Amino acid sequence: MQEATAAPPELKLRERNVLLLDLSKSMLAPLPDPQGNRSERQKIEVARTAVFRILQDAAASGTPFGLVTFTETVRVPVPLGEVHRENLPYIENLLALLQPSGRSAVWDAIAVGADLLRMGVQGVRGNLVLVTDGWDNASTRFGVRTEAEPVKGGLTDLVPYVLPPNSELSLRIVGIGSGIERDRGVDAGSMNGFLDQLRARAQELGLAGAFGFQEVTTGTQLFAQMVQAFLDVGYDDDRPLEELHPEELAQHAASAARALKEPQQHATVSRLRAPRPSVPPTDVSYLESPDLEVGVLSASGGAPAYLKERYGPLGEVVEAYIGGQYPRALAILTDAKAVLPPVTRLYWEARIQFAQRAVVEAARALLQAWSEAEKLPAGSQASVLRRLALLQARMQNDKETETLVRFIDDTEHRLGGVDPAARERLMDLLGRLMELRGTYQLTRLAGEGDLQDAALRHEAAVEDVFGRLQDARLEFSSAGAVVEGALDFIEICLAEMR
Amino acid sequence: MAEVKVTTRTKRSAGTKRETKPSIESARIAVVGIPASGKTTYFRFLSGHFGLNLPILYVPAREDGGNLPLYGDLDNDVALEETTYETTDPTDPEESLETTTRYYVNRPMEDRKKLWVELSAGREDQGILTKYPLPTKFNQFVEMKMHFRYGAPEDKTGSRPMELNTVDEAGGIIADYFSYDRLWIDSTEGEVTEKSCRVIPHFDSWRPDRRDLWRRGLTLLGRFVQEADAIILFLSPALASLRDQAQQINLARGVFRYTRARDIPLVIAISKADKLKEFYGEVDRSVRERTFRSQFDPVDFLLRRDGAGMGTILVAQEGRGISIKEDVFLVSSAVSTGEGHPLMVGEGGQEAPAMGTPTLGVPVMVNTTLPLARACERILQKRATKGS
Repeated sequence: MQEATAAPPELKLRERNVLLLDLSKSMLAPLPDPQGNRSERQKIEVARTAVFRILQDAAASGTPFGLVTFTETVRVPVPLGEVHRENLPYIENLLALLQPSGRSAVWDAIAVGADLLRMGVQGVRGNLVLVTDGWDNASTRFGVRTEAEPVKGGLTDLVPYVLPPNSELSLRIVGIGSGIERDRGVDAGSMNGFLDQLRARAQELGLAGAFGFQEVTTGTQLFAQMVQAFLDVGYDDDRPLEELHPEELAQHAASAARALKEPQQHATVSRLRAPRPSVPPTDVSYLESPDLEVGVLSASGGAPAYLKERYGPLGEVVEAYIGGQYPRALAILTDAKAVLPPVTRLYWEARIQFAQRAVVEAARALLQAWSEAEKLPAGSQASVLRRLALLQARMQNDKETETLVRFIDDTEHRLGGVDPAARERLMDLLGRLMELRGTYQLTRLAGEGDLQDAALRHEAAVEDVFGRLQDARLEFSSAGAVVEGALDFIEICLAEMR
Repeated sequence: MAEVKVTTRTKRSAGTKRETKPSIESARIAVVGIPASGKTTYFRFLSGHFGLNLPILYVPAREDGGNLPLYGDLDNDVALEETTYETTDPTDPEESLETTTRYYVNRPMEDRKKLWVELSAGREDQGILTKYPLPTKFNQFVEMKMHFRYGAPEDKTGSRPMELNTVDEAGGIIADYFSYDRLWIDSTEGEVTEKSCRVIPHFDSWRPDRRDLWRRGLTLLGRFVQEADAIILFLSPALASLRDQAQQINLARGVFRYTRARDIPLVIAISKADKLKEFYGEVDRSVRERTFRSQFDPVDFLLRRDGAGMGTILVAQEGRGISIKEDVFLVSSAVSTGEGHPLMVGEGGQEAPAMGTPTLGVPVMVNTTLPLARACERILQKRATKGS
């Protein structure tokens, strides 16, 4: 009983996501892309790309996810729940078959989305993301009052329905197209009016909530808004930690420790940021440079299905790369320049050039990618820097750095599906392990007189991390092979930091 | 032919306290180290020194010629006891233990060659199975106890009875116990809990009976070291496996924490030191040239030239319970020729041939009494300080 009340629900609740996708006929219209060289893409095509991507992330992280589609009718093709990897192909096939038609019951769709997130007396708790290109013109159950007129007769006021007492809701609305002309885009005034009412009600009831609206008018904007992605492909010789023989694991850990201990020989390591536990967003306000979604695909057995559908042009680049069609991959990359984040484009240019043994071009592109990565927001920067470091380590045949970066990256990625508390603790341990670089270096640089002080500080730091590691072992002894493997690795690394 | 081994079998509850702590004039010293760190060989060969007067070689050569105040315990016929605790049924609720004790006595065997063979037998010859992560026969522990005396016999107080102990065939348990301080118990009645055992990697995946045995072994060890007046930590410098190296470093760091927390003297023995090329060269020359007096500098070697990289750790501990100069020793309980044969010295002092007709010879032991003598010295210093 005590446990149920003591557990902070915020993180888990905020990770309940429902996407509301407009499938009205207008979604078939092309979205202009004045800056891009590529042919115009339909709104539904771009939106579907985002849904594929979000679904894959949900499957990887175990985050509960639900999908609501709407025309005049509201449907729930994916009920709120954990998306299992093995079910992904079926859901993706279903999404590929969804064809827009009819009108938009926006308010009814929001109400159904809220119902999915409703938790009895605890109210509506979770995240709603609405992607629409139109005005509400088909709702039959819910309405939103305006300053001029109340909710029409027979309809229920959407605001109190969506936000009953005790709720904790975030609503993010992505409006496609300008709403200046009816049926050409979202009525921003109406949407903002709705959001203002939600904010006022949240304030009145003392609820935590965040509500935002972003209008996008081009395919580039929509793509950037929904699929800011840094996608990478694993290397052929990737092996998960738990598949390694214990002695191999020890060799990997010792190798990684050397990368931390010898900065002169492993300069790339100094550019890495210590991983830190991810902090849930406090609101859904839109940023000029939103975080990139960083994903790593396994390429063993060929290109994964629906790459293009999931990642748009970036998926096409990756598909061509995996197929060994490097010139084609470069050509697609050049064409898609306008829609890809600079760091993603430069990274892929480096990777493709390296694959076709154009070392100088690869190095030049990677150098530019490093510069671009420095401009990224903190949320995605650490992951992107590690992908760059990994490529650079391979280019320089620096096995120690490669092992270290792979371990951190792989662990962070694979921990996506485990208990958030275990993930947070492990990320913290990894960060502290990396920070031992500093105290270790002092023992190397200290003169004879200062050596003992430096050694003492380093040993105290090691003891501190080792104590935390023991506590993590006790707390997460049943957390599974990924957590155990990571703890084993850190333990051996610590022994090597001497 | 005189029988040198006496075997007894008794049965008693594991929870029963075996004996009271010796008087203040005696002391217990615990030897700890990871599996195959040299604990067993140390006990067996050093008991040969006390019981059979096997000589000790000192590198570097000692000014006093090795005249240390260590003696065999002449009041006690037994130099070394090896007691095997065997749980015939790990699930026995009464936790009864069968015990078997082998005694090595303070008199030479008629057939000295046979004694040598017995002392030098490797693990395979002894029929001992792979130990880690389980003790020898997964239901067995061996307690080794060596009786000796420290202090000048002509001193009016006489020499003090001392015991050197280890829980043998349990290096894995020793490594776990000291590495993970969440396992430590604070009294001789304390119990290592199942819950705290989860700090051991993958403990939950072990078989239940083995988990129980391991926990009981940790409890036994915890109580055993709780009564220790000093600890000698064995570190092997020549571990091929990185895993073993990590285990040893974690053990060492844990022992430093343990002795600091309990304020008991710690002495370090770098065992199997003959595997270090530089050190072996000194030993080899000392054996071959009777007039050679080694000037080997262990401190310089450990801090600046030892590839095992313990230097920084040792420097950090300097003055916090140990002195690198006075408390760290390079020892070898049975110098090897490097070809799988023990280096033996004939009665005339020259190396005995390892091949051909078997000849009499004694194994070459290097510095083995030094850590023991130092531990005794520190125990008595500490008692004197407390007494004053």
